[in-house]
Amino acid sequence: MSESMRPTPEAERLHQELEAVWGNPPGWRGRLSAVNHSTLGLRFMVTGLVFFLLGGVLAMLIRTQLALPDQAFMSPEIYAQVTTMHGTVMMFLFAIPVLEGLAIYLIPKMIGARDLACPRLTAFGYWCYLFGGIILFSSLLLEMAPDSGWFMYTPLSSSEFAPGPGSDFWLLGITFVEISALAAGVEITVSILRTRAPGMALHRMPLFAWYILAMALMIVVGFPPLILGSVLLELERAAGMPFFTVAGGGDPILWQHLFWLFGHPEVYIIFLPAAGIVSTLIPVFAGRPIVGYGWVVAAIIITGFISFGLWVHHMFTVGIPQLAQAFFSAASMLVAVPTAIQVFAWLATLWLGRPRMALPMLWVTGFLVIFVCGGLTGVMLALVPFNWQVHDTHFVVAHLHYVLVGGMFFPLVAGAYYWLPLVTGRMPSERLGRLGFWLTFLGFNLTFLIMHWTGLLGMPRRVYTYDSAMGWDLFNLISSVGGFMMAAGIAAVLVDLVLHGRYGRRAPRNPWGADTLEWSLAMPPANYNFASLPRVESRHPLWVNPTLGDEIARGEHERPGAAHGRRELLGGEALTGRVREVIHLPVNSLLPLFAALCLAVVCIGLLVRLYPLALVGLAGAGILLLRWSWENGGHPRAAPLGRDELESPPLHSRTADGPGRWTMGVALLADGAFFLSLLFGWFYLWTVSPQWQMPDRSPLSLPLLLASGAALTLGSLWLERRAAALQRGRESGLVLALTGIAALGGLHLVLLVWGLWAAGLAPTVTAHDATLTVGLAYLLGHAGLAAILAALQAWRAQLGLVGARLPFEPGVVALLWRYQLGVYWILVAAMALLPRLTGAGS
Amino acid sequence: MKSLRRWWGPSHPAQLLLGLTLWSLWFVAIYAGLSVACALAPPGAGQGALTAINGGIALLTLATLALLAWLAWRGLCAGRQAAGGGRFIALVGAGLHVYAAAGVAFVAWPLVALPPCL
Amino acid sequence: MLPVLAGCGGSHSILDPAGPAARDVAWLWWGMLIGFGLVFVAVVALWLAAFRRRDAPDHRPDRSVSPDEERRLGLRWILGGGILLPGVSILVLLAFGVPAGQRLLPLPGGETPRVIEVTGHQWWWEVRYPDDRGEVVTANHLVMPAGEPVDFHVTGADVIHAFWVPRLGGKIDMIPGRINRIRLQADSPGVFGAQCAEYCGVQHAHMHLHVEAVPPEAFDDWLAARRDAEPESSDLDDEHAPARDTFTAHCASCHRVAGLGEGDVGPDLSDLGARATLGAGTLAMEEGAVAQWLTEHQRLKPGNRMPDHDHLDPQALEALGAWLETLRP
Repeated sequence: MSESMRPTPEAERLHQELEAVWGNPPGWRGRLSAVNHSTLGLRFMVTGLVFFLLGGVLAMLIRTQLALPDQAFMSPEIYAQVTTMHGTVMMFLFAIPVLEGLAIYLIPKMIGARDLACPRLTAFGYWCYLFGGIILFSSLLLEMAPDSGWFMYTPLSSSEFAPGPGSDFWLLGITFVEISALAAGVEITVSILRTRAPGMALHRMPLFAWYILAMALMIVVGFPPLILGSVLLELERAAGMPFFTVAGGGDPILWQHLFWLFGHPEVYIIFLPAAGIVSTLIPVFAGRPIVGYGWVVAAIIITGFISFGLWVHHMFTVGIPQLAQAFFSAASMLVAVPTAIQVFAWLATLWLGRPRMALPMLWVTGFLVIFVCGGLTGVMLALVPFNWQVHDTHFVVAHLHYVLVGGMFFPLVAGAYYWLPLVTGRMPSERLGRLGFWLTFLGFNLTFLIMHWTGLLGMPRRVYTYDSAMGWDLFNLISSVGGFMMAAGIAAVLVDLVLHGRYGRRAPRNPWGADTLEWSLAMPPANYNFASLPRVESRHPLWVNPTLGDEIARGEHERPGAAHGRRELLGGEALTGRVREVIHLPVNSLLPLFAALCLAVVCIGLLVRLYPLALVGLAGAGILLLRWSWENGGHPRAAPLGRDELESPPLHSRTADGPGRWTMGVALLADGAFFLSLLFGWFYLWTVSPQWQMPDRSPLSLPLLLASGAALTLGSLWLERRAAALQRGRESGLVLALTGIAALGGLHLVLLVWGLWAAGLAPTVTAHDATLTVGLAYLLGHAGLAAILAALQAWRAQLGLVGARLPFEPGVVALLWRYQLGVYWILVAAMALLPRLTGAGS
Repeated sequence: MKSLRRWWGPSHPAQLLLGLTLWSLWFVAIYAGLSVACALAPPGAGQGALTAINGGIALLTLATLALLAWLAWRGLCAGRQAAGGGRFIALVGAGLHVYAAAGVAFVAWPLVALPPCL
Repeated sequence: MLPVLAGCGGSHSILDPAGPAARDVAWLWWGMLIGFGLVFVAVVALWLAAFRRRDAPDHRPDRSVSPDEERRLGLRWILGGGILLPGVSILVLLAFGVPAGQRLLPLPGGETPRVIEVTGHQWWWEVRYPDDRGEVVTANHLVMPAGEPVDFHVTGADVIHAFWVPRLGGKIDMIPGRINRIRLQADSPGVFGAQCAEYCGVQHAHMHLHVEAVPPEAFDDWLAARRDAEPESSDLDDEHAPARDTFTAHCASCHRVAGLGEGDVGPDLSDLGARATLGAGTLAMEEGAVAQWLTEHQRLKPGNRMPDHDHLDPQALEALGAWLETLRP
């Protein structure tokens, strides 16, 4: 072990060579242009921690206000803003980003890669998160924060009942932050599927990667409904399109569906990575592999799916048909099974191993106690009659804190203590850590165990005061005392985290005796992670070969060094991990920062209702993102064609199916979730909305839509053919063909605009016209993008950046065209054909 | 077509998603079908749980159950014969199909007791 | 059970049921608490015991369990705890829960109970008693017959509120544009607390409803008294005549008092003097309370929709309050 800390000359040479290619440049410019996953993962986590502390201060304000009856500590307006922001900050600005940050930091190290598959996207996501968070939180300092609750139910959040800019801050800020979540979700999915170490087949992947894969896919599918909801609500507030207003044919319940369609999976998006931490730590501290690896993988997949089928259990009191309630009640209980599988797999691992109660395990134990309790009250809440009683009382507040604090915060601290030596190379203080744990654990239970009872005594949520005659005084006081105790515990943990970097004792290599690849790295890890990329034949590479770290540093594994000057990692087959290509990554860039800044301008422009400014920002962002996509493939700033081309494995831009194609595929999955939510909204309003007005004749011109669709279909088929031909090495007439395809895209766009114009819709009058407008606008946006990308491909072909030797990009653009082809005809069928067929309106 | 056949194979990773996707589709079909059926042709009062709507739900449920059971059995057989990653995918896939079937049965269970459209 | 139950009282307590629906749920709660309590203790005990074992190394001296044996043990844990335990629990739970839920529903058939319509406003309750002989309207004070089921038809006038009488049964949302129905029954006469249960804006905390169950005959009398009450008139020439003028000049565009004004923005005040509270539970009704409310309501319930009355002469407000307190059928 000891010799491993001293690098051999060969290792030192490799280190210099790799650092020159992978390092972050010095100075401010370097910091702003960094795209490295370690740097950005840490930034995500530190920023999340800051928001956590701010959200915690808000929580303490709430507990101060409720400590005694009839308190006048805060005015009701301020209290409403504080509670709304506490929920919003904790959910959107702390929980999700911190877990994304953890995944961004750890996943490449765990699966044996040097970076994520889309480094610039990581940076872009971070800047979106930072700017969105700042915009959202600034509203509180301006005393114009959202005050309609973190769930933003309409009509309370609509312009009539929330006239100030508060709701706009929420809708725009959250959407901005969600771009970041989606970016992380897309690239983490692609990275886990395509950039694992050679030989790391799916069934050898660390469980943590399975959990993160599920989380990433759930973000990709789960966030778009809320983005759609936010867009619709902002359109209603700013432009008067009545999606949620009964008088215009809308329905406030649509918002609740869209919100909880996101909101329930969100709980599991937060829980799964935390459970992943637990499933990583328990085998290490039990000194044996996890029991039932396959069972746990199945449980993860089940949780991911079922969590999308339970959203209605937040809406049992809305007055939904009884049979449907019974369905959702049963489905909600079904989720208990995968959770129980995991808990008992952990228990079995402990019983069949030799567990030690190290500091991280103490926090895992705290997690277990709290989370099991929260899970059990969750099953109670799934029971409809009981739900009717305790819904929207403090019982639910207690339950959700048990699930979220127990299910996310405790494992997160456990993980922080566990991985801290990796990040800083030093060990935390055992004594301060234990003090922090007990204060947090006891304070938490004092606050929230009692709160169940307060709820059963009938105290509703979100009241800023209560009368002494209710009999809730003592319980609220105890909860407040517990809250401050918990705050003290968290402070102790923070002090430990801050101090250990200076005073902690140096950590030995792999201090916990772990089995996963991240512990084979230097502590702290270098920017490139692995000097050579290890081949993995086991689920526990470090248990099989404890000296793997030294071998990697000495360059004894695949593709050592970076003499070629490219940032390289290996792309593998999704199932087997067999090497397929060498992926070359883009280098540091300021484009993500500037693109995010442009989006911030859009956000602020919309907030202050300076729409021309917003348009300028949007155009800027579009141009920067296109510039970003330009510096790819054979571009001189990427991997220009040379004489010493790699043959086996080839560079990914020389193949048909590189990770960029997968990124497009996963991004289109998110887009598809958005589209399906829109389609759901259309059919929901049509069938359920109380005062829906369907015109006797559909205002959409069928001939125009058919003509536009014909152009799209022709263009898409042509592009598919050309892309396939390019794979076979045929490139003659490519420029002309791509130009023709772009022209067809333009025709499609023009006809669509004509169709929209000819329909003469009145989107501010009826929800029907408003929904049609949004649907057509959605198609228009995609039509424009498809045409532009095809035109750029033609240009790139002209410049020799696309061709028989660089056949990659047309296939990626073809995916977008194929997608547009599908959604176009589905939307035309749903919005123009179906109303004609059913004779709606009569 | 060839790639589609590969997706359908018992050892393809798509099997990990197929069972619960069928569960979701069934779930959506029931939920949407119920809303539409209740809007178009609500059953007469006092009919209890013996309506055409409940019958339709029951039929769809049985068909889904049969499909899932067959998929689970197929995965189990394939898993016994395969090795390594293929074995893992087929067996976990089979487990997921069983779970999806149980989920269908469990969620469909209340319809025995409940009249629709309330 | 009694000593435990002693801590369960309170005007809003779910655990002190006063009607069949709430009673079912209370029993459900105690049953689940015991059952899940056992599960919780068992899981935590298993967890902690796993760590204890290490202190007794002679427990299993040679850890040479064969891989097959280990696989079998692990499978037993997962099948027993991960599949069987939750499977059986949720089956039992649904077997109890679904019928209990069904009993709470206004099922068709049988005798149709009386209907009371409740509308939620920011931040007060409008209560209507539809009747062929003439509708009775009141606010923030709900009287219902005891010992028989009552159907509540609820809706929201502005934002979403929720109707909830904890001691009688579950809650139901009051949604603009829709009418939701819930059936509740009070076993015997009594007074029950109720509070809006869906966040509805800054004064959500001060949106209480006073619910009173009375014997059915008393309920009929109560209704009849309001139906047949003599309307107020501006022609009456008694000591309250100036107050009536103040009302018509300053209040009638929002409030209704039968015979004087038909405003429908704020609560109907026709029987204000007979109500238990003011400002939807903000103040108890007692002598002088209305005048206090009229002068201080923006301090007592900040942000409520009634403009302040600083431009009015304090004496006029006092007279107005004194007159309003006399409005009882």
